[in-house]
Formats: sequence, structure tokens, C-alpha cells
Amino acid sequence: MSARRVVVTGMGAVTPLGAGHQRNWERMVAGESGVATIRRFPVETFDVKIAAEVYPLPRVPEDEITDELGIHSRFALVAGREAWADAGLDDARPDPERVGVFMGSGKGILQLDHLVPAAKEAMASGRFEYAGFLRRAMETLSAERRKQERYHQAGTHLGRAVGAAGPNWVTITACAAGNHAIGEAYCALRRGEADVILAGGTHSQIDPMSLSGYATLGALCDRNDEPEKASRPFDRKRSGFVLGEGSGVLVLEELSHALARKATIYAEVVGYGNTGDAYRVTDPHPEGIGAETAMRVALRNAGLEPGAIGYINAHGTSTHQNDAMEAQAIGRIFGPKGEAPPVSSIKSMIGHLIAAAGAVEAIACVHALRTGVLPPTINYENHDPECDQDFVPNQARETAVEYAMNNSFGFGGQNIVTVFRRFASE
Amino acid sequence: MKRRVVVTGLGVISPNGLGTENFWKACLAGQSGIAPIEAFDTTGFEPRNAGEITGFNARDYVANRKSLKIMGRNIQFGVAATKLAVEHSGLNEQPPEAERFGIVMGSGIVPTDVEEVGAAIMQSLDENHEFQLEKFGESGQKMLHPLWLLKHLPNMVAAHASIQHGARGPNNTIVTACSASTQAIGEAARIIERGDADVMVAGGADSRIDPLSLVAYTLLGAVTTAERDPDKLSRPFDRNRDGFVLGEGAACLILESEEHAKARGATIYAEVAGYGTSFDGEGVTRPSMEGVHAARAMELSMKDAGMSPDEIDYISAHGTSTVLNDLMETRAIKRAMGARAAQVPLSSIKSMIGHLIGAAGALEAAVGVLAIRDGAVPPTINLDAADPECDLDYVPNEAREMKVRAIVSNSFGFGGQNAALVIREYE
Repeated sequence: MSARRVVVTGMGAVTPLGAGHQRNWERMVAGESGVATIRRFPVETFDVKIAAEVYPLPRVPEDEITDELGIHSRFALVAGREAWADAGLDDARPDPERVGVFMGSGKGILQLDHLVPAAKEAMASGRFEYAGFLRRAMETLSAERRKQERYHQAGTHLGRAVGAAGPNWVTITACAAGNHAIGEAYCALRRGEADVILAGGTHSQIDPMSLSGYATLGALCDRNDEPEKASRPFDRKRSGFVLGEGSGVLVLEELSHALARKATIYAEVVGYGNTGDAYRVTDPHPEGIGAETAMRVALRNAGLEPGAIGYINAHGTSTHQNDAMEAQAIGRIFGPKGEAPPVSSIKSMIGHLIAAAGAVEAIACVHALRTGVLPPTINYENHDPECDQDFVPNQARETAVEYAMNNSFGFGGQNIVTVFRRFASE
Repeated sequence: MKRRVVVTGLGVISPNGLGTENFWKACLAGQSGIAPIEAFDTTGFEPRNAGEITGFNARDYVANRKSLKIMGRNIQFGVAATKLAVEHSGLNEQPPEAERFGIVMGSGIVPTDVEEVGAAIMQSLDENHEFQLEKFGESGQKMLHPLWLLKHLPNMVAAHASIQHGARGPNNTIVTACSASTQAIGEAARIIERGDADVMVAGGADSRIDPLSLVAYTLLGAVTTAERDPDKLSRPFDRNRDGFVLGEGAACLILESEEHAKARGATIYAEVAGYGTSFDGEGVTRPSMEGVHAARAMELSMKDAGMSPDEIDYISAHGTSTVLNDLMETRAIKRAMGARAAQVPLSSIKSMIGHLIGAAGALEAAVGVLAIRDGAVPPTINLDAADPECDLDYVPNEAREMKVRAIVSNSFGFGGQNAALVIREYE
């Protein structure tokens, strides 16, 4: 039995650069930044005051805005519907039982202000009393709002919105989750568990609790006076990532299913690698052993030599550790600058979308293959000897590419790499 | 030919027993682990009982004690279960090649520490006693543990466990509520089957015994608030069932390619023969009442195993003790099993331990493995009054000795995700 092949037939994106995968691509090629001072809540007293927000929030039908629809689920609905329509699935109406949804997702937001009455009552006597907390919480909290927080909500909302009754799962492998969902969807389609899978990620954590949480971890850049310059992957003066939000969803489809319905085929998914660092929960392995292995596994899975890869969409978070580790791991596989393919990080423009990052980056890879244009790493101004590769600095570049690699390395040590191929009908 | 996946180890942290054998003995004896909540004061509140883990000392299980302070409660349970499973399989003595050794866990929201958040909120009140974000930014946030974010990431179960066991292969965390750990086991089996790893730790860990979960599930009307003895509260398939009881805990299976297990002379307890998963989109806590999609997960799992309903000897049920689930599941079993439904025994250990949400499926799969190993199935306790609409053989109140060659383990999630596993005797 010849292996089933998997192609991309639709895409959707909501990012700090706006809604629509095409519009996003155009703005990325133009090197625009979506990073700004946070508008969603007052940030004057916070150490970090900048983020890459989706602003304004994308519209969804009025009747869908319920208490249980968290912002991250809303992003997933918008990106997922765009991908669905983009793939022509509104008309094609595939068998619902053969349509799946695989999403990487973060948690919904813990809304502090909802907890205020319960916290006040609990602390009335000066020390925390649970009975008071419980009593007041029962009166003031809403079950619907509590549902927002649950991790599976994005998969559930999207599955219902498009009527997908096939495999439905949600992964939370932090910053690797979106790419992870794509890799697993590729495996499931190859195995024949579905004909179509909506795969991607969604995330929104630009809220007071999360902002302070990431900031105290020392992971965020606090260049508050020049937001658009804050995210600078691989630059020597990088100083942390910028929190972003949004969603990317791809329609992955088994090739013969796509051909039979004469779908537009954007690209083919040809490789996937997944490894764990088993090093530390707070830091990536300093030499990027896990990242390197994931890239090697993905190459082997695709049946490719390193030389076949024409472009690498880096994880490139703009943290000191990630970028040095990633550049070195790339060097060990692909050789030094000049020999290795161009590498760029769109996080320079849209920040770090955490669970959605890998999915939006996969969309960038697909566009790069289709158009022969590589998106730039903006804010690349100072060469860092620890990061010595061609990062497509500041300007998009025309280069025809046959294979593109998408790297995602999650907080906690999950490393996910996918490989895409330009689609040529044979 | 597809690679076969076998089970070579188990680890269980359950409200009715710490460690696999204690858990199994308690299940066969029909022992409930449901009792008044000890973790915090529930005076005046209903519910105030749960399937709580007691007598658990994380230091007995966690190698790197410094990391304990950044491990939420379910993370500790999860790491403990992986340790027990790895030791049970003998892999601690025969470590697999690191890159061919992975982990997939089902997990859920790690409980918010309301004491900590409460203190942060109090610190953020202005002179009028109103909450101000400016004050939260200024001083409130300093009341939170600096690494609180790490404590609350569900993927940290797999992250800590992979570090403890040196597992550098595929690493995943699935968060589809009540189906999460069944999906985790299914996905881990697929990873071995397709050749991406030789050994996988697979299971789930969860804890919802915290004030916010207690309030949220009570508001949903999903948990029982009845005034009964704690051990009588959870009564799946009984006519007087009225909601589930929250639980906590963890379980892991060691899955291994047949080849790898044989080469190292491992004891093989069972084979993971099939996995099926489906989605029903008809409501977050209301399962599709005819059980069409739930049945489909069972059908897909049997098809994947190449087995017919007649070959299934036991079903480890989802059986939550809610009115709707148990009725729906009964219908789904009839739909998926046909004439066999009337003969096949099924039971729900949730009657004894409550609903472990993201860990439930892993404990229920462990029951399947143990039933095959020992030729006995646990009872559904508290099944005192027959529900005319739940008319299958639920193994009421007494364990049963019987030959078990193959089982189906069911999980149906709040989010509409359904999953089922077929586990069978290894030949």
C-alpha cells in the first residue's frame, strides 16, 4: 500500500497584523510590526507594557458571543472558518465523520475581577477562609464563564462550527502546540483516520495575570518605549519575547480526496519530528540537543537530506537562550552560514503567539513555497556571534524554495518540527 | 504489517489506593475512596465530599525535590504515577534509548491557588475597597509565587516526568477533559505503531478538588449535592443517581512495541489492540442522548483492533453517575455492541473513586489490563435500585471472577470528545 499523502488546501489566520491569511502574508512580506503598547487594560503600573494584540477583536456572529466563548476560542472560530471557506469546504461538504479538528491551545483567561467578591469575603477576618470564599463564589461566579478557561474549548467550538464529527483533540504543548497539532494531523491523515483535518493553534494570554506571570519568569522584553523594536530574534541586543495572541488554522487533506474535489492545493506536508528535551522545565537544553533531534527526525521522516531544505521558519523567540540554541542546532545539521538555508522568524513582527505560533508560522512557510518569497526577520541590526546564520534581515527576499522547515520549541521541552513541500501536480 | 503495542507496566495513584495493587484490591473489594474533603474547609457548602488522594507524600516519588515547589497537585500525582509505572515495567533497570522513549499525558486545568490569588486581589484594592488593575500591577502581582505560571501548565506533568526518566522521544499533553487520558493512551499507541518510538509512558493526571472547580461544577449542576453518606454518593447506572463526585489522581501505562518488550524479557500484561475517537457537537455538558457518536468511538476502536463485539468480555465504562451520561452510555453500548450488549458485563469504578476528569480514562484502562491479568472485574458499587432505562449487566456491588480476554474502555468528554480503547490478552 502506498502511503497516503497530505496536502494543505485551506488556511486562516488572525494575528496582531489582522485577520486573513493573505493580508497577514502581505504585511509580513512588507516587514510590518504588530507590537504596540497594550490597549486592553491599563498597564501604567506593569513592568512590561507592550504586547502584540489582536486589535480590535475580530467579529463573530452576534449569537455566538456567549459567556463561554473565550477570546482564544473566538480567534479559533474566525481562523478556522476562514480556512474552511478558503478550502472550498462549504460547497464540498465532506462526510462529517471523516473531518477532524486538532488544535493546540492555551488556557482561557482567569478573570481576576470576577474573583474579587469571593476573595473579599474569604479575607474578611484577615486570614483566608474557604467557607466564605465558596459561599460568595457560588453567588457571583458563572458556570458559563468558568468554562471559558477550559483548554478543550477551542476544539469544541471549532468542531461544532464546521460540523466536524471525526477525531477531535486539543494539545497543550506550550509554544509548540500549533505545530504539534499539524504534525499529528498529518500522521492521522496518513493512517486513514480522516480525510480532512482542521489543524492549528489558538492562544490569548494578554491579561494582567499572565502578563505578570511571564514577566516574573524573566521571559518578556520590556522595551516599552519602542514597542515595534522589541522583538528582535537573533539580534545581539535581543532581550526577551513579546507576548502575542491569535490563531492559525490549516485545512490538511488527504491528496486523493483533495484531487477528487479539484481543490486548490497550496503545499504538501512531508515530514514531522517530535522530541522532548528532558532537561529543565524552565530552559531549553543549552546546546539544543532536543531541537536538533527533532529537526533530524523530521528530515528522516520526510526522506530528505539537509541540503534539500530551502528555508527554515525559526522558532526564533527573541530570547537569548532560544535563539542561540536554535542557531547552533541549525548549524550542526545544515552547516555554517552560506551553506545552511536562510532562516527567519516572523515573531519579529507578530510576537510570540505561544500555542498559535507554530500554526501561523506554518502558514508563512506555505506562502513562502507558493510565492517564492521569504518573510524577513525585522529589527535585525546587530550581529551576534552566537547566532551566525542568514536570518533574511529586515527585507523579504525572493527565492524559489522546494522544501520549507517549520521549527517550534515549547516551554517545558517539547520540540516539534514539520516539513512542507511546494506542491507540483504529478 | 503494523507494529503491535503491549502493556508492560502500570502505576496508579487513586483515591481508594496508592499504588497499583492497593488500588486494584480496593476496587475488587468495592471500597470507596470518597470522603469529606480535607484539603480545605467546606463548612456549610455542598458538595463537601470528593475522591481525594490522602496519605500522599510527593517526596516519595519526585527525584528532584527542588522542583516540588513548582509542581501543582496534579503534576505531583502524574509524576508519581509515571515513577510507579516505570519501576513496575523494570525500565528503570533497563533504560530504553532516550530518543525512542516518549510520554503522552492527559491533563487538565491545574487548580488555581485561591489563597494566593485572594491575597493578590486584597493587595489590589483601593481606599474604597474596589479592585484596581493599577494596584495589581504595582503590588498585587507580587503576592503571587514568582513561578506560578509553571505550576499551572498542564504540559508540566510530561515535562517533569520526561526529565525524571530521561525520555527524549515524542512528548505530548492532551487536554480534552474527560477523554484526555484515553486519547493520550491511544495516541501513544499510534506513535509506537508507526515506529516513532519503542516505549511510551501514557496516561493522565488531574485534580479538581479545589474551591474554583467545586463551585464551577456545582453551578453546572453536574456534581451531586445530595445528603448521603460519602461512600454512597457516586452511583452510576442506579435509578437514584444525581450527579458525579469530583476526584483526583493519576495513572500511567507503559506501552512498548512487542519487539522491544520481548527483547528485554519484559512481562507483558496485555496488548493495546485498538483505539477510536469521535466528536459530538451537540452541547458542552449534554451528551448526544442517543449516543450515536459515543457508539462510533467504540465501533472505531473495535474495527481498529479487527475484533467483533462478540469477542469483548468486559467494558470499563465511563459511567459518571449523572442522569444523562449513564443513560446515553447505555444506549451507546447497545448501539455499538448489538446483541452482545445484553451479555457483556460492564462496570464503572467512578462509583468508588469519583470522576478524575483528565485522569479518569487512564485508571479505567488500568482496570482493563488488571482484569485481563487476574481474571476478575470490579463492581459498580451503590447499584441498589434498577433504572428501567439502564438495563445492562453493570456488575452490581460485587466483583466477579471471570475470564477476560478483551475489554473496551470508554471515555466521553464534556467538550464532546469521545474515545475508546480495546485492550486484549497478549498472545
